[in-house]
Amino acid sequence: MAETSLISRGTVVRGNVRGSGTLEIQGRVEGDVTVTGDVLLGEAGAIRGNVSGESLTILGQVQGDLRGTEAVLVERGAKVAGDLSAPKIGIATGALVRGLVRTDGEPALAAGRRGAVAGQALRSGGSFQKSPARAEAPKPAAVEPDSEPPPAKEERKPPPPVVPALSRGTKAKKKKSREQE
Amino acid sequence: MAGTVIGEGLTIEGDITSEEEVVIHGNLRGKLTTSDAVTVGSTGVVTADITGSSLSVAGQVTGDVTASERIDVQPGGKLVGDIKASRFTIADGASFKGNVDMEI
Amino acid sequence: MARHNLESSVLGPTTRLTGRVSGDGALRVEGSIKGDLSVSGEADIAEGGSVEGNLNAAALEVSGSLLGDANVQGPIAVRSGAVVRGELRGSEVSIEPGSRISVRLETEFELDLGGPARRR
Repeated sequence: MAETSLISRGTVVRGNVRGSGTLEIQGRVEGDVTVTGDVLLGEAGAIRGNVSGESLTILGQVQGDLRGTEAVLVERGAKVAGDLSAPKIGIATGALVRGLVRTDGEPALAAGRRGAVAGQALRSGGSFQKSPARAEAPKPAAVEPDSEPPPAKEERKPPPPVVPALSRGTKAKKKKSREQE
Repeated sequence: MAGTVIGEGLTIEGDITSEEEVVIHGNLRGKLTTSDAVTVGSTGVVTADITGSSLSVAGQVTGDVTASERIDVQPGGKLVGDIKASRFTIADGASFKGNVDMEI
Repeated sequence: MARHNLESSVLGPTTRLTGRVSGDGALRVEGSIKGDLSVSGEADIAEGGSVEGNLNAAALEVSGSLLGDANVQGPIAVRSGAVVRGELRGSEVSIEPGSRISVRLETEFELDLGGPARRR
Protein backbone atom coordinates (compact mmCIF):
# COMPACT_ATOMS: atom_id res chain seq x y z
CA MET A 1 0.00 0.00 0.00
CA ALA A 2 1.58 3.20 1.09
CA GLU A 3 -0.07 5.38 -1.44
CA THR A 4 0.40 8.96 -0.52
CA SER A 5 -2.34 11.51 -0.76
CA LEU A 6 -1.97 15.21 -0.46
CA ILE A 7 -4.19 18.00 0.71
CA SER A 8 -2.33 20.87 -0.74
CA ARG A 9 -1.85 24.34 0.57
CA GLY A 10 -4.83 26.48 -0.04
CA THR A 11 -7.24 23.58 0.21
CA VAL A 12 -9.72 23.44 3.05
CA VAL A 13 -11.49 20.19 3.81
CA ARG A 14 -14.60 20.43 5.94
CA GLY A 15 -15.48 17.00 7.17
CA ASN A 16 -13.64 13.91 8.18
CA VAL A 17 -10.87 12.41 6.18
CA ARG A 18 -10.36 8.74 6.30
CA GLY A 19 -8.57 6.02 4.49
CA SER A 20 -5.52 3.88 4.11
CA GLY A 21 -2.09 4.93 3.01
CA THR A 22 -0.12 7.97 3.89
CA LEU A 23 -1.51 11.45 4.01
CA GLU A 24 0.26 14.75 3.68
CA ILE A 25 -1.65 17.82 4.73
CA GLN A 26 -0.40 21.20 3.64
CA GLY A 27 -3.79 22.83 3.74
CA ARG A 28 -6.47 22.86 6.32
CA VAL A 29 -8.81 20.19 7.65
CA GLU A 30 -11.82 20.89 9.81
CA GLY A 31 -12.68 17.41 10.91
CA ASP A 32 -11.07 14.22 12.03
CA VAL A 33 -8.28 12.57 10.14
CA THR A 34 -8.07 8.82 10.40
CA VAL A 35 -5.62 6.87 8.30
CA THR A 36 -3.86 3.60 8.53
CA GLY A 37 -0.57 5.03 7.39
CA ASP A 38 1.48 8.01 8.36
CA VAL A 39 0.35 11.59 8.52
CA LEU A 40 2.51 14.58 7.81
CA LEU A 41 1.12 17.98 8.66
CA GLY A 42 3.17 20.69 6.95
CA GLU A 43 4.27 23.93 8.48
CA ALA A 44 1.43 25.91 7.03
CA GLY A 45 -1.08 23.18 7.61
CA ALA A 46 -3.80 23.23 10.23
CA ILE A 47 -6.19 20.66 11.58
CA ARG A 48 -9.17 21.27 13.78
CA GLY A 49 -10.10 17.76 14.72
CA ASN A 50 -8.48 14.58 15.93
CA VAL A 51 -5.76 12.80 14.05
CA SER A 52 -5.18 9.08 14.09
CA GLY A 53 -2.55 7.17 12.19
CA GLU A 54 0.62 5.20 12.43
CA SER A 55 3.32 7.79 12.68
CA LEU A 56 2.24 11.41 12.90
CA THR A 57 4.69 14.17 12.13
CA ILE A 58 3.40 17.62 12.94
CA LEU A 59 4.94 20.85 11.78
CA GLY A 60 1.78 22.94 11.67
CA GLN A 61 -1.05 23.60 14.06
CA VAL A 62 -3.55 21.22 15.55
CA GLN A 63 -6.52 21.72 17.76
CA GLY A 64 -7.46 18.19 18.60
CA ASP A 65 -5.95 14.94 19.79
CA LEU A 66 -3.08 13.14 18.14
CA ARG A 67 -2.89 9.44 18.31
CA GLY A 68 -0.20 7.33 16.68
CA THR A 69 0.02 3.58 16.80
CA GLU A 70 3.72 4.04 16.35
CA ALA A 71 4.78 7.58 17.07
CA VAL A 72 3.76 11.19 17.38
CA LEU A 73 6.46 13.73 16.61
CA VAL A 74 5.83 17.41 17.08
CA GLU A 75 8.52 19.47 15.42
CA ARG A 76 9.88 22.90 16.03
CA GLY A 77 7.42 25.62 15.15
CA ALA A 78 4.39 23.39 15.55
CA LYS A 79 1.57 24.17 17.94
CA VAL A 80 -0.76 21.55 19.34
CA ALA A 81 -3.64 22.02 21.74
CA GLY A 82 -4.85 18.52 22.44
CA ASP A 83 -3.83 15.17 23.87
CA LEU A 84 -1.01 13.08 22.48
CA SER A 85 -0.83 9.34 22.65
CA ALA A 86 1.69 6.93 21.10
CA PRO A 87 4.31 4.45 22.26
CA LYS A 88 6.92 6.92 21.12
CA ILE A 89 6.43 10.63 21.50
CA GLY A 90 8.75 13.45 20.62
CA ILE A 91 8.26 17.15 21.18
CA ALA A 92 11.12 19.18 19.79
CA THR A 93 12.59 22.28 21.32
CA GLY A 94 10.60 25.13 19.89
CA ALA A 95 7.39 23.16 19.57
CA LEU A 96 4.42 24.14 21.72
CA VAL A 97 2.06 21.55 23.13
CA ARG A 98 -0.71 21.85 25.67
CA GLY A 99 -2.64 18.78 26.81
CA LEU A 100 -2.16 15.29 28.12
CA VAL A 101 0.82 13.47 26.69
CA ARG A 102 1.09 9.76 27.28
CA THR A 103 3.28 6.99 26.02
CA ASP A 104 1.52 4.43 28.14
CA GLY A 105 -1.81 2.68 28.09
CA GLU A 106 -4.91 3.97 26.54
CA PRO A 107 -4.88 7.15 24.59
CA ALA A 108 -6.49 10.08 26.28
CA LEU A 109 -8.93 10.29 23.41
CA ALA A 110 -12.50 10.19 24.55
CA ALA A 111 -15.47 9.91 22.25
CA GLY A 112 -15.33 11.31 18.80
CA ARG A 113 -12.70 9.10 17.31
CA ARG A 114 -12.32 7.64 13.97
CA GLY A 115 -14.47 10.06 12.10
CA ALA A 116 -16.91 7.49 11.09
CA VAL A 117 -19.00 7.78 8.12
CA ALA A 118 -18.29 10.96 6.39
CA GLY A 119 -15.51 10.36 4.04
CA GLN A 120 -16.90 7.12 2.94
CA ALA A 121 -17.21 8.74 -0.36
CA LEU A 122 -13.49 8.84 -0.36
CA ARG A 123 -12.92 5.37 0.55
CA SER A 124 -13.19 3.88 -2.84
CA GLY A 125 -10.14 1.82 -3.39
CA GLY A 126 -8.67 2.98 -0.17
CA SER A 127 -6.69 6.04 -0.96
CA PHE A 128 -7.39 9.67 -0.84
CA GLN A 129 -7.05 10.88 -4.27
CA LYS A 130 -8.72 14.15 -4.22
CA SER A 131 -6.37 16.94 -3.61
CA PRO A 132 -4.83 17.49 -6.99
CA ALA A 133 -8.13 18.44 -8.48
CA ARG A 134 -9.13 20.90 -5.79
CA ALA A 135 -5.74 22.14 -5.24
CA GLU A 136 -6.02 25.47 -6.86
CA ALA A 137 -8.40 28.01 -5.47
CA PRO A 138 -7.86 29.24 -2.00
CA LYS A 139 -11.55 29.31 -1.59
CA PRO A 140 -12.79 26.66 0.74
CA ALA A 141 -13.32 24.09 -1.91
CA ALA A 142 -15.35 21.74 0.14
CA VAL A 143 -14.35 18.32 -0.91
CA GLU A 144 -16.34 15.14 -1.08
CA PRO A 145 -16.34 14.10 2.48
CA ASP A 146 -18.69 16.78 3.32
CA SER A 147 -21.61 15.35 1.53
CA GLU A 148 -22.47 12.82 4.15
CA PRO A 149 -24.81 13.87 6.86
CA PRO A 150 -23.49 13.33 10.33
CA PRO A 151 -24.80 9.84 10.66
CA ALA A 152 -22.19 8.75 13.11
CA LYS A 153 -24.10 9.82 16.10
CA GLU A 154 -21.80 8.22 18.52
CA GLU A 155 -18.60 9.65 17.17
CA ARG A 156 -17.55 12.81 15.67
CA LYS A 157 -18.32 15.32 18.24
CA PRO A 158 -15.90 17.86 16.95
CA PRO A 159 -16.95 18.56 13.39
CA PRO A 160 -20.65 19.32 13.73
CA PRO A 161 -20.19 22.11 16.23
CA VAL A 162 -17.54 23.66 14.11
CA VAL A 163 -19.50 23.97 10.99
CA PRO A 164 -22.59 25.74 12.17
CA ALA A 165 -20.41 28.32 13.75
CA LEU A 166 -18.72 28.80 10.48
CA SER A 167 -21.85 29.01 8.50
CA ARG A 168 -22.50 32.32 10.16
CA GLY A 169 -19.99 34.35 8.41
CA THR A 170 -18.89 31.99 5.74
CA LYS A 171 -19.61 32.38 2.16
CA ALA A 172 -21.81 29.42 2.78
CA LYS A 173 -20.43 26.71 0.74
CA LYS A 174 -22.88 24.98 2.85
CA LYS A 175 -23.40 21.42 1.89
CA LYS A 176 -26.79 20.47 3.07
CA SER A 177 -25.09 18.06 5.41
CA ARG A 178 -24.35 20.11 8.46
CA GLU A 179 -27.49 22.02 8.38
CA GLN A 180 -29.13 19.26 10.25
CA GLU A 181 -29.69 21.35 13.29
CA MET B 1 34.01 10.42 42.12
CA ALA B 2 30.54 10.17 43.46
CA GLY B 3 29.60 11.99 46.58
CA THR B 4 26.97 14.27 47.97
CA VAL B 5 27.56 17.97 48.32
CA ILE B 6 25.05 20.30 49.86
CA GLY B 7 25.96 23.76 48.60
CA GLU B 8 25.95 26.83 50.74
CA GLY B 9 22.64 28.14 49.49
CA LEU B 10 20.75 24.92 50.06
CA THR B 11 18.59 23.87 53.01
CA ILE B 12 17.53 20.32 53.61
CA GLU B 13 14.91 19.27 56.11
CA GLY B 14 14.64 15.56 56.47
CA ASP B 15 16.53 12.32 56.74
CA ILE B 16 19.46 11.45 54.57
CA THR B 17 20.96 8.02 54.17
CA SER B 18 23.93 7.37 51.97
CA GLU B 19 26.84 5.10 51.19
CA GLU B 20 29.08 7.82 50.02
CA GLU B 21 30.90 10.86 51.25
CA VAL B 22 28.73 13.76 52.32
CA VAL B 23 29.90 17.37 52.39
CA ILE B 24 27.67 20.05 53.83
CA HIS B 25 28.17 23.72 53.13
CA GLY B 26 24.53 24.62 53.60
CA ASN B 27 21.86 23.76 56.16
CA LEU B 28 20.64 20.38 57.28
CA ARG B 29 17.96 19.75 59.81
CA GLY B 30 17.03 16.16 60.44
CA LYS B 31 19.25 13.13 60.39
CA LEU B 32 22.26 12.01 58.43
CA THR B 33 23.54 8.46 58.17
CA THR B 34 26.29 7.34 55.85
CA SER B 35 28.90 4.64 55.76
CA ASP B 36 31.48 7.09 54.45
CA ALA B 37 33.00 10.35 55.63
CA VAL B 38 31.05 13.46 56.61
CA THR B 39 32.41 16.96 56.33
CA VAL B 40 30.61 20.03 57.62
CA GLY B 41 32.23 23.04 55.96
CA SER B 42 32.70 26.36 57.69
CA THR B 43 29.38 27.68 56.35
CA GLY B 44 27.54 24.49 57.18
CA VAL B 45 24.87 24.50 59.86
CA VAL B 46 23.58 21.11 60.89
CA THR B 47 20.91 20.30 63.44
CA ALA B 48 20.87 16.54 63.23
CA ASP B 49 22.29 13.34 64.56
CA ILE B 50 25.12 12.28 62.34
CA THR B 51 26.53 8.83 61.75
CA GLY B 52 29.44 8.17 59.46
CA SER B 53 32.83 6.58 59.16
CA SER B 54 34.36 9.89 60.11
CA LEU B 55 33.23 13.42 60.77
CA SER B 56 35.03 16.70 60.35
CA VAL B 57 33.30 19.81 61.63
CA ALA B 58 34.40 23.29 60.59
CA GLY B 59 30.92 24.75 60.84
CA GLN B 60 28.18 24.16 63.35
CA VAL B 61 26.68 20.88 64.42
CA THR B 62 24.00 20.39 67.01
CA GLY B 63 23.23 16.75 67.55
CA ASP B 64 24.81 13.49 68.55
CA VAL B 65 27.58 12.30 66.34
CA THR B 66 28.84 8.76 65.89
CA ALA B 67 31.79 7.70 63.78
CA SER B 68 33.37 4.32 63.29
CA GLU B 69 36.77 5.92 62.89
CA ARG B 70 37.24 9.46 64.08
CA ILE B 71 35.65 12.80 64.77
CA ASP B 72 37.49 16.10 64.41
CA VAL B 73 36.21 19.52 65.36
CA GLN B 74 38.26 22.08 63.46
CA PRO B 75 39.30 25.54 64.55
CA GLY B 76 36.22 27.69 64.28
CA GLY B 77 34.01 24.64 64.35
CA LYS B 78 31.34 24.12 66.96
CA LEU B 79 29.82 20.90 68.14
CA VAL B 80 27.05 20.60 70.69
CA GLY B 81 26.08 17.01 71.32
CA ASP B 82 27.53 13.69 72.32
CA ILE B 83 30.49 12.18 70.56
CA LYS B 84 30.90 8.48 70.05
CA ALA B 85 34.12 7.55 68.30
CA SER B 86 37.31 5.72 69.05
CA ARG B 87 39.37 8.77 68.14
CA PHE B 88 38.60 12.43 68.21
CA THR B 89 40.17 15.84 68.29
CA ILE B 90 38.83 19.18 69.35
CA ALA B 91 41.18 21.73 67.83
CA ASP B 92 42.40 24.86 69.45
CA GLY B 93 39.79 27.45 68.60
CA ALA B 94 36.99 24.95 68.29
CA SER B 95 34.11 24.68 70.70
CA PHE B 96 32.48 21.61 72.01
CA LYS B 97 29.86 20.81 74.54
CA GLY B 98 28.71 17.29 75.21
CA ASN B 99 29.77 13.87 76.33
CA VAL B 100 32.38 11.67 74.80
CA ASP B 101 32.28 7.94 74.55
CA MET B 102 35.41 6.39 73.14
CA GLU B 103 33.92 2.94 73.27
CA ILE B 104 36.75 1.52 75.14
CA MET C 1 29.97 22.49 36.10
CA ALA C 2 29.75 21.11 39.56
CA ARG C 3 31.74 23.80 41.21
CA HIS C 4 30.74 22.35 44.47
CA ASN C 5 29.91 24.91 47.05
CA LEU C 6 27.94 28.07 46.63
CA GLU C 7 26.01 27.47 43.54
CA SER C 8 25.93 23.81 42.97
CA SER C 9 24.73 20.84 44.96
CA VAL C 10 24.60 17.19 44.16
CA LEU C 11 22.93 14.23 45.75
CA GLY C 12 25.11 11.20 44.98
CA PRO C 13 23.77 7.94 43.57
CA THR C 14 23.51 6.12 46.87
CA THR C 15 22.03 9.05 48.72
CA ARG C 16 18.39 9.01 49.68
CA LEU C 17 16.63 11.95 51.15
CA THR C 18 13.21 11.91 52.69
CA GLY C 19 12.27 15.49 53.27
CA ARG C 20 12.38 18.77 51.47
CA VAL C 21 15.05 20.69 49.70
CA SER C 22 14.97 24.40 49.15
CA GLY C 23 17.33 27.24 48.50
CA ASP C 24 19.67 28.79 46.07
CA GLY C 25 21.75 27.32 43.40
CA ALA C 26 21.52 24.33 41.14
CA LEU C 27 20.90 20.78 42.19
CA ARG C 28 21.79 17.56 40.50
CA VAL C 29 19.97 14.49 41.77
CA GLU C 30 21.75 11.20 41.18
CA GLY C 31 20.15 9.54 44.17
CA SER C 32 16.59 9.89 45.30
CA ILE C 33 14.43 12.50 46.93
CA LYS C 34 11.07 11.79 48.39
CA GLY C 35 9.69 15.20 49.11
CA ASP C 36 9.43 18.59 47.51
CA LEU C 37 12.25 20.38 45.85
CA SER C 38 12.48 24.10 45.28
CA VAL C 39 15.65 25.73 44.04
CA SER C 40 16.48 29.00 42.38
CA GLY C 41 18.78 27.40 39.87
CA GLU C 42 18.61 24.51 37.52
CA ALA C 43 17.46 21.09 38.64
CA ASP C 44 18.87 18.07 36.90
CA ILE C 45 17.53 14.62 37.64
CA ALA C 46 20.28 12.40 36.33
CA GLU C 47 19.88 8.95 34.87
CA GLY C 48 19.29 6.70 37.83
CA GLY C 49 18.12 9.61 39.93
CA SER C 50 14.59 10.08 41.07
CA VAL C 51 12.38 12.71 42.59
CA GLU C 52 9.02 11.88 44.03
CA GLY C 53 7.40 15.15 44.94
CA ASN C 54 6.80 18.56 43.50
CA LEU C 55 9.56 20.50 41.94
CA ASN C 56 10.20 24.20 41.43
CA ALA C 57 13.28 25.39 39.63
CA ALA C 58 14.62 27.85 37.10
CA ALA C 59 15.08 25.09 34.56
CA LEU C 60 14.69 21.34 34.59
CA GLU C 61 16.29 18.43 32.87
CA VAL C 62 15.11 14.89 33.51
CA SER C 63 17.04 11.81 32.51
CA GLY C 64 15.88 9.76 35.47
CA SER C 65 12.50 9.67 37.07
CA LEU C 66 10.10 12.38 38.18
CA LEU C 67 6.81 11.65 39.83
CA GLY C 68 5.18 14.90 40.70
CA ASP C 69 4.44 18.31 39.31
CA ALA C 70 7.09 20.61 38.00
CA ASN C 71 6.74 24.34 37.92
CA VAL C 72 9.67 25.83 36.08
CA GLN C 73 10.41 29.31 34.85
CA GLY C 74 12.56 28.27 31.99
CA PRO C 75 12.68 25.18 29.81
CA ILE C 76 11.92 21.62 30.74
CA ALA C 77 13.74 18.89 28.84
CA VAL C 78 12.74 15.26 29.21
CA ARG C 79 15.49 12.97 27.92
CA SER C 80 15.00 9.68 26.22
CA GLY C 81 15.47 7.38 29.18
CA ALA C 82 13.30 9.39 31.51
CA VAL C 83 10.13 8.38 33.24
CA VAL C 84 7.86 11.27 34.09
CA ARG C 85 4.41 11.45 35.54
CA GLY C 86 2.72 14.65 36.58
CA GLU C 87 2.03 18.13 35.40
CA LEU C 88 4.80 20.03 33.66
CA ARG C 89 4.73 23.76 33.47
CA GLY C 90 7.57 25.63 31.84
CA SER C 91 8.34 28.25 29.25
CA GLU C 92 8.90 25.38 26.90
CA VAL C 93 8.76 21.61 27.21
CA SER C 94 10.68 19.25 25.01
CA ILE C 95 10.32 15.48 25.08
CA GLU C 96 12.77 13.06 23.55
CA PRO C 97 11.34 9.93 21.94
CA GLY C 98 12.07 6.93 24.08
CA SER C 99 10.92 8.55 27.27
CA ARG C 100 8.01 7.07 29.15
CA ILE C 101 5.62 9.76 30.15
CA SER C 102 2.15 10.45 31.35
CA VAL C 103 2.12 14.18 31.76
CA ARG C 104 -0.08 17.17 31.40
CA LEU C 105 1.60 20.05 29.65
CA GLU C 106 0.37 23.48 30.53
CA THR C 107 2.30 25.57 28.09
CA GLU C 108 0.71 28.89 27.27
CA PHE C 109 0.25 29.88 23.69
CA GLU C 110 -2.38 30.74 21.14
CA LEU C 111 -3.31 28.75 18.10
CA ASP C 112 -4.01 30.41 14.83
CA LEU C 113 -5.96 28.04 12.69
CA GLY C 114 -7.47 30.61 10.44
CA GLY C 115 -11.11 30.19 11.31
CA PRO C 116 -13.49 30.61 14.23
CA ALA C 117 -11.91 29.12 17.31
CA ARG C 118 -13.40 26.04 18.76
CA ARG C 119 -12.91 23.83 21.83
CA ARG C 120 -10.07 24.24 24.28
